[in-house]
Amino acid sequence: MTQRPALDVSDLPTTAFGMRDPLWWGVVGIMCIEGTMFAIMAGCYFYLRGGANLWPPAGTLHPGVAITTLNILILLASLFPMHRAANSAEREDLPAIRLWLILSTVLMVAFLIIRIVILHRLTFRWDSHAYGSVVWTTVGLHTVHVVTGICENLLFITLLTRGPVEDKHMDDLRLNSMYWYFVVACWVPFYCIFFLDPGLLGATAG
Amino acid sequence: PLSTPWRGGQGVRPRRAGRSEGKVQSCALFLLPNWIGGHAAYHPHGVQAAHIEGLWWLMFWVCSAVFVAVMVALGAAITRPPRESGPPGAIPPERHRRMSRVVAGAVGVTVLVLFVLLFASVSTGRAIESLRASQAITIKLTGHQWWWEVEYDDPVPEHIVQTANEIHIPAGQPVRVELASADVIHSFWVPSLHGKRDLIPGHSSEIWIQADRPGVYRGFCAEFCGHQHAHMGLLVIADPPARYAAWYAGQLQTPSPPADPLLQHGRQVVEAGPCAICHNIQGTQASGKLGPDLTHLASRRTLAAATLPNTRGNLGGWIVDPQTIKPGNQMPANSLSSEDLQAVLAYLESLK
Amino acid sequence: MSAEPIDRGLVADPADSADAEDRRLLERTWKYASGLWGWLAEVDHTKIGVRYIVTALIFFALGGIEALMMRVQLARPENGFLNPDLYNEIFTTHGSTMMFLFAVPIMLGLGVYFVPLMVGTRNMAFPRLNAFSYYVYLIGGLFLYTAFFLNTGPDAGWFAYVPLSGPQFSPGKRVDVWAQMITFTEISSLAVAVNIVTTAFKQRAPGMSLNRIPIFVWAMIVTSFMVIFAMPAVMLSSLMLALDRLVDTHFFNPAEGGDALLWQHLFWFFGHPEVYIIFIPATGIVSTILAPFTRREVFGYMALVLSLVATGFIGFGLWVHHMFATGLPQLGQSFFTAASIMIAIPSGVQIFCWLATLWGGRLRFKVPLLYVLAFIFTFVIGGLTGVMLAAVPLDLQVHDTFFVVAHFHYVLIGGAVFPLLGGLFYWYPKITGRMPSEALGKLSFWLVFLGFQITFFPQHILGLEGMPRRVYTYLPETGWGDLNLLSTVGAFVLGLGVLVFVINMIASKVSGLPAGDDPWGSDTLEWSTSSPPPPYNFQYIPTVGARAALWNMREDQPVVTGLRSDRREFLITNMMDADPDHRQVSPGPTIWPFFLSLGVGITFIVGIFTPWGVPIGAVPVAVSLVGWFWPRGDQGHKVLKEKS
Ligand code: HEA
Ligand code: HEA
Ligand code: HEC
Ligand code: CUA
Ligand SMILES: [Cu+2]
Repeated sequence: MTQRPALDVSDLPTTAFGMRDPLWWGVVGIMCIEGTMFAIMAGCYFYLRGGANLWPPAGTLHPGVAITTLNILILLASLFPMHRAANSAEREDLPAIRLWLILSTVLMVAFLIIRIVILHRLTFRWDSHAYGSVVWTTVGLHTVHVVTGICENLLFITLLTRGPVEDKHMDDLRLNSMYWYFVVACWVPFYCIFFLDPGLLGATAG
Repeated sequence: PLSTPWRGGQGVRPRRAGRSEGKVQSCALFLLPNWIGGHAAYHPHGVQAAHIEGLWWLMFWVCSAVFVAVMVALGAAITRPPRESGPPGAIPPERHRRMSRVVAGAVGVTVLVLFVLLFASVSTGRAIESLRASQAITIKLTGHQWWWEVEYDDPVPEHIVQTANEIHIPAGQPVRVELASADVIHSFWVPSLHGKRDLIPGHSSEIWIQADRPGVYRGFCAEFCGHQHAHMGLLVIADPPARYAAWYAGQLQTPSPPADPLLQHGRQVVEAGPCAICHNIQGTQASGKLGPDLTHLASRRTLAAATLPNTRGNLGGWIVDPQTIKPGNQMPANSLSSEDLQAVLAYLESLK
Repeated sequence: MSAEPIDRGLVADPADSADAEDRRLLERTWKYASGLWGWLAEVDHTKIGVRYIVTALIFFALGGIEALMMRVQLARPENGFLNPDLYNEIFTTHGSTMMFLFAVPIMLGLGVYFVPLMVGTRNMAFPRLNAFSYYVYLIGGLFLYTAFFLNTGPDAGWFAYVPLSGPQFSPGKRVDVWAQMITFTEISSLAVAVNIVTTAFKQRAPGMSLNRIPIFVWAMIVTSFMVIFAMPAVMLSSLMLALDRLVDTHFFNPAEGGDALLWQHLFWFFGHPEVYIIFIPATGIVSTILAPFTRREVFGYMALVLSLVATGFIGFGLWVHHMFATGLPQLGQSFFTAASIMIAIPSGVQIFCWLATLWGGRLRFKVPLLYVLAFIFTFVIGGLTGVMLAAVPLDLQVHDTFFVVAHFHYVLIGGAVFPLLGGLFYWYPKITGRMPSEALGKLSFWLVFLGFQITFFPQHILGLEGMPRRVYTYLPETGWGDLNLLSTVGAFVLGLGVLVFVINMIASKVSGLPAGDDPWGSDTLEWSTSSPPPPYNFQYIPTVGARAALWNMREDQPVVTGLRSDRREFLITNMMDADPDHRQVSPGPTIWPFFLSLGVGITFIVGIFTPWGVPIGAVPVAVSLVGWFWPRGDQGHKVLKEKS
């Protein structure tokens, strides 16, 4: 041993949750980066809007109040199973985690399918005008996040089915849920911006 | 004529002449405190540039003083004999306290100085923005890769003057310049008169300028705009009001059809040849808009956006091989027979 | 060397056999991977840090050679050395290389190398991410230069203003290369930033509370936060530019409702913080060097840290000062003038604190200190010309002229490269285990310092005389020829100085005297371990009892024991006080980060030619991610069973 007094840490645990875990900081870092990106995207939207005479441009029709609202509700609903999955992870209740993950994945996929339907109903494309560019790009960026969320869930479901599941994964699962809350939270303002726009609500498509 | 001295404004001299003068000038920069050359931001010929020059010297002296103060402190610090001994460590407390006071004082002075500079900056900004006049000449300046389209606005369509790369203004009067771009971002800058203003597609803007004295002032495109950004100059020529009026009247004339057969032939080549696609010459069939208006080409001092003095040799060289002079510019080389070329040159030189 | 010997006692008793056994175990557990495969799989932060530094220096040499070519072209009026097309490519590549491939990565690379050592831990928080960052950066740089040598180098300036960089005025692939290079370097920097923040917050040696963190580490923390909040803007804008160019979106096309100024706002919202991302680590280096060479702690620790943080915040409110000539409303401009002037306060505070440190200290005029003095001299000039530029009316005159070129080389080279060279010299013995030659160091210092002033001082005058920047040539009658010639001569002197520096680095690697653990008598933890550090950095994680950790190492300062040596265990402490919290196991060498970076590379490079790049690249990306995260059960975690 050294000649110096020792600060013995051998009794300390090898896993920790939340802020104590470095991975939490990593995920929060990523959320900061992507959150900034979405915020700047919203900034661009309003900047372009400020310079436009008519916004949304003439001939833009609402893709459907009902379907867009239904979709955001589905997205919000997916928070619940994700939350339960995180809670179950805390209790290391593997079957419950799997169940909640499957449920939330189903909701996410439903959200994605309806989003595709909505995109089909849009009366403009990304190359129609700047408005179209902003809307499509934002949706595209967010869709990448949703797809990532789905893939992560599928990986975890596979892991939970095949094993070996380690105690460390319980923390990963909670971070997975936290990240999904973030993905959902990012979309809410854009739902409001894109689909509750008074200029658009007046022009509902069939 | 090209050899007139330009009273401070940076103009274009015939090539190779005046080089030695330039040398003397910039050597003098090092020697004289008054290193004010003939054609720079610190040698103003307009009210706004003069305001800015005032701000510059304020900044210059204040910042020089700050720099000297910091350097004196630095010099003293590194030449002082050390006051501490023993193992390395923190600064002794009572010295630390004394130094804290000095540092705090320095920060306080910094804040004060900065306030002064901020105030000077904002008030200079006000002053240069205040140049206005209700009855003023309006010049529409449109940037192209890599030349300037100039149009003097007038409610009466017949009184509108079109020209390029050269602006005449009456000395001593504010002039409104409306800025637009036909392609990429350019920036209009005549250092002797005022700071610069960008020409941004989709954002028209305006700037007021005034030349206090008659003279020829050189302008530059100051925003990188592609291959020939370097050769996108223009001249601002401030004339006494009477001279200006005469110039304007001259520009309004449509050149009369030439009687001389050589000129007639030249005109015919221009009209029938490729030139007409891109260039406009009032009163002829040449009405292209892709290149500079040539109606009064011969009255201008320079060619190709203040790149060449407007001499016969340069004109001929330009028409035959513009790509060597301004590589990448938008005018293609033209292969004219030597008779045609001579005729074209004679004709263009007649367009006073 | 000349330092007083201090018994750190951190190194174990060689006679103790349990101790030697422990070290053997650590040695085996943390062994560097070997062979080519191992080289690609390496996750050790010192290895990756050195790669960053060396790679960035190579890009510095390339950027410098480009600078010399520009200087040759500008040496006399109407010179024919470079045609306009090539000149535009070269100045764009010079600016982009220096900013994105040299200055930012080398600072982050120093962070990668030294943050873990300075906070007393064994590796970065996310070692695999660290390897990934480096490869992505490398791919970005190689991509840019491959394109450059294939005559497809970008040519629209380092800030690629639209519409010049848009589909209409820059057909071909040149600008796409630029946009993707940006994407690569941003991904890389963002990943490093997250890594550094986590390492500095969660892995500090016990006792290193927030107010004892070395200033260099603080500088890296602030820098990382700036990266996190600034770089998304340019990622987004370069994405938009790429979309405008590749799939006909209209973000920047005024004809369809887009806006050319949007680009400028987005770019400078990133671009201004970017310059502080380069500058702040350099100030950290200055504070680090000052302590050992004045033999006293840096004056005003709190003030310095708060200045860094303040600079970080204010730095986000200045971007419009790059756009004064666009003619934004006056009131708004005054705001940005005020903000730009305000940032002189934290810079002033730092300068004054450094002067106070020097005042009455026991100075040792070795090369690192010379660079610090040169830094103060040069940076103050550059900062003051910055304050001049912040004044709208004056900026309208000198914007986009060589005055601005002079300003930013004074702050970039004087403010960042001088400290960097000093820092490289200072840390060289730690990294290589050998001392650099002081004589060559002094020679190169004077060449660099004088060459620099000769190169860039005349450019102020040229700018005031009306010489716009980014011109490939100028007319003889402008009278700019002589000062330009002087500037060119200076650039060669400067280049020679850099060359001597590089020769010193290479020669001393072979022939330098052995350095020992702590040749300069420094105060931070990296000097308490051997030079170069062992793969596990510290046999015993130290504890810290004061700010200048090594100068205040008491006889009975404890060390951490109880970390297992048979696997890559390290200590996690809490963020505020660095109290021990738990232990974690760090991953060993793995090839997946390399494959992932290849996947990302394919995505973006193929993406230039066809949107199919995204699905094509997605396959290797997905495979690598699965491989990366697949549990291998080697991390010593408890395996859970389903409770039935
Ligand atoms: C390391 C990088 C770095 C740093 C630190 C700075 C620091 C500063 N910069 Fe600079 N800047 C650049 C890099 C940097 N800059 C680059 C790369 C560009 C050009 C980009 C391009 O166009 O390509 C640029 C351009 C630029 C412009 C735009 C010019 C133009 O294009 O027209 C402006 C305008 O306001 C500006 C201002 C400032 C200010 C106010 C500071 C301040 O932070 C300086 C503060 C420091 C001091 C003032 C000195 C120390 C203080 C004291 C000794 C106290 C006493 C002082 C007083 C009383 C005044 N900079
Ligand atoms: C950190 C950033 C950085 C650094 C270090 C430099 C370094 C230098 N820069 Fe640069 N510069 C920029 C950032 C930087 N620059 C930016 C952002 C622009 C704007 C670009 C734009 O407008 O878009 C610019 C633009 C710019 C211009 C203006 C171009 C124009 O507007 O037309 C000029 C002109 O003089 C110039 C010169 C130089 C010189 C002489 C150096 C010298 O310091 C270089 C010294 C180094 C060397 C000479 C290398 C020595 C190496 C060797 C000798 C080889 C060793 C060999 C091996 C190891 C193999 N730079
Ligand atoms: C394809 C278009 C095109 C054709 C054809 C063309 N030009 Fe040009 N011309 C230009 C453009 C563009 C410029 C401005 C170039 C610059 O300065 O960057 C120019 C500039 C000039 C100038 C200089 C004008 C000035 O004020 O500086 C002259 C003179 C000129 N052209 C004459 C001719 C003649 C004569 C012909 C035919 C023999 C001709 N051009 C054919 C496009 C054309
Ligand atoms: Cu037009 Cu530069
Ligand atoms: Cu800035």
